[in-house]
Amino acid sequence: MPALPVDVGPWLALPIGVAFGAILERAGLGSARTISRQLSFADWTVVKVMFSAIVTAMLALYWSEQLGWLELSRVAMPETDVVPQLLGALVFGVGFAMASLCPGTACVSAASGRRDGLAALTGIAVGSMVTAELWPALGQAAVNNPRSAATLSSDLGVPAGVVVLGISVLAIGAFVVAARMEGPSSANGNASIRQFVGSKPILVVLTLALLASLRRESGGSRAALAGIAAEISREADHVDPIVLADWIRERRPNLRVIEVVESPADIDPNDYVIPGSSAVTLSAITSLEASGNDTIVLYSAGGTHAAQAWVLLRARNVQPVFVLRDGLAAWEDEVLAPSAPSDSSAVALARYKHARELQLWFGGTVTDQGSVWSAPVQTTRPGKPARRRRNTC
Amino acid sequence: MSGAGSQATGELAVRTPATNGKAYANPYVAGVLLGLLLFASIAIAGRGLGASGGFTVAGTAALAAVAPEHVAQHPYLSEWAPGGPIAALTDWSLLELVGIVVGALLSSRIAGRRQSAVEHTLDESSASRLAQAVIGGALLGVGARLARGCTSGLGLTGGALMSTGAWIFIPVAFGTAFATAFMLRRIASTGIAAAVPLRN
Repeated sequence: MPALPVDVGPWLALPIGVAFGAILERAGLGSARTISRQLSFADWTVVKVMFSAIVTAMLALYWSEQLGWLELSRVAMPETDVVPQLLGALVFGVGFAMASLCPGTACVSAASGRRDGLAALTGIAVGSMVTAELWPALGQAAVNNPRSAATLSSDLGVPAGVVVLGISVLAIGAFVVAARMEGPSSANGNASIRQFVGSKPILVVLTLALLASLRRESGGSRAALAGIAAEISREADHVDPIVLADWIRERRPNLRVIEVVESPADIDPNDYVIPGSSAVTLSAITSLEASGNDTIVLYSAGGTHAAQAWVLLRARNVQPVFVLRDGLAAWEDEVLAPSAPSDSSAVALARYKHARELQLWFGGTVTDQGSVWSAPVQTTRPGKPARRRRNTC
Repeated sequence: MSGAGSQATGELAVRTPATNGKAYANPYVAGVLLGLLLFASIAIAGRGLGASGGFTVAGTAALAAVAPEHVAQHPYLSEWAPGGPIAALTDWSLLELVGIVVGALLSSRIAGRRQSAVEHTLDESSASRLAQAVIGGALLGVGARLARGCTSGLGLTGGALMSTGAWIFIPVAFGTAFATAFMLRRIASTGIAAAVPLRN
C-alpha cells in the first residue's frame, strides 16, 4: 500500500503557500509587466516557468505512482466539466489580458506593493462572489456534465505514459519557440536550439518521458481500470453465442477461442469443447502471447474463469477480447439446441432459422423436448464430437 | 541589468525588474523548483497548488458572518464555508493564499523589489491601469469559478495531473489572452510595453 499521500490537516498550506509566493516573486511573475510582455510574445517567462513546473511535477507524480510510493486515487483531482470550463477559460483569458495578472500573481503583485495588484485582487474577489451567488441561476453554463476524475489518458483511451510523453514534447517545443522569439537576450544565453535540446535537463526529461510511454502494462493505474470498468458496464466485453458461432463457421481470420480452466487437471478429453478452441489455465493467461490482430473469445464452463481472464487480459491492454455471454450453457442452449421461439414475429422466426442452421453445422440435435441436448450420431464438421460438460467454473 | 527607468524608449532587455532591485531568477530553475513544490504538495498532502479557491472561501466566510442563513441555504455558497466563518480561517485554500502573500512580501523585500507603485503595461494613465486591473480582475474571478480553478489550480495542478479539464483550460485561456492582448494593444496603438517606468 503506497505510503503517500497522508492526512496532514490544513496548516501545511501555510508553508506551501509561502514557498509558492516566494518562487513566483523570484521568477518575476508578480509583475504585471512580465505577464503583459508574455502576452505580446516578447518575454516568455510565464510559459517557461509554467511548463517547467508542469513537466517536473508530472514526471515526478507519474514515476512515484509507478514505483508504488504514491496512491493517486487519494489525491484531489480537479473536476472536469467541459462546457463551463470552456466558457470560464474564455472569460478568464479576457480578464487575464486586461489585468495582466491572475489570482495567484495578483497576490504576489499586491504583496510587492503594486496598487494595480491590489486593484486586481479586489476585482477577483467581487467577480468570484457574484458568480458564486448567481450560481444556481446560471444553469448549464455553470454545471453541465461534471466528471470527477477525468484524465486525458482515460478520455482519449491512451496510456498515461503516452500522455506524459506528449506533454513533455509540447513543453520542449514551447521552450524552443520561446528561445527563437526572445532572441539573443533570452535566458538560454547564446545556446543554439540543438544545444538547448541536447542539454542535460532536457535529455533527462525526454528519457523519463520516453520510458513512461513505453510502459505497456500500466494496468494498475486508475485510468486504465476505469476504462475497463466502463467497458463492462456498457457490455462491450460480451459476445453472443450466435455471433461466435457465425465467426467460427465463417472462419473469421485470427479468431482465437480460448477455454479458461483453473488447472491442467481440469482438462478431460471426454468433455465438450467449442470447435477450434484451446484450453489455457488462468495463470497462463497473464503471460498469454497476443498480437493486436487476434480476436480473442474466452469461455469457461460456468463463465467465472472466463470473466476473470477477461479482466486480466484487458489490464494488459490486450484487445479485442470478449467473454462468451453466459458461457458454455448459453452455447448449448442457443447454438447446439435452440428452442423454437415463443412469439411468431418474423424477426424471431428468422433468428430461429439461423440458429437451426448453426446447430446443424455444429453437430447438435434437438429433440421433441425442446432444449435438451443429446449427442449427435456423427459429425464431419470441424471440432470434436459432443461430450459431456466439464464440472468446473 | 539595472533599473528600467534609465532607458527612454526602445526594447528593454528581457526580464528586467521594474524596480532597481535584484534581477529575477532563471525561469527554468524557478519552474523546476515550483514543480517540485507542486509535487511535494500533492504527494504529501494530496492537494496541489491553487489560488482562486481561497478568494471564494474568504468571500463566503465574510458573507456568512453577516448573513449566515443565506449562505447555509445557498446550494453553492454553503459548500465553501461549511463550518461557518471562524472555521473558514483554517481552510486549506485560505491558508495557502495567506502564505502566498507572506512569501511574496518576504521575497520582494529581501531582493529590494518591493515598491509601492502602479505597474503599467501600456503607455497609459494610472487611473486607466487601475480600472483595467479591477475589471480584468472581475472577469478573472468569474472565469475561475466557472472553470473550477485558475492558472495555478487548473494550469499547474491539473496540468501535472493530466486532467482533461485542465488541458482544455490551458490552451483556451492562454489563446484568448493572447488574442485579447493583441486587440488591446491595437486599440491603445502602442507596441510592446517597453521602457515604461513605474509611476505613482
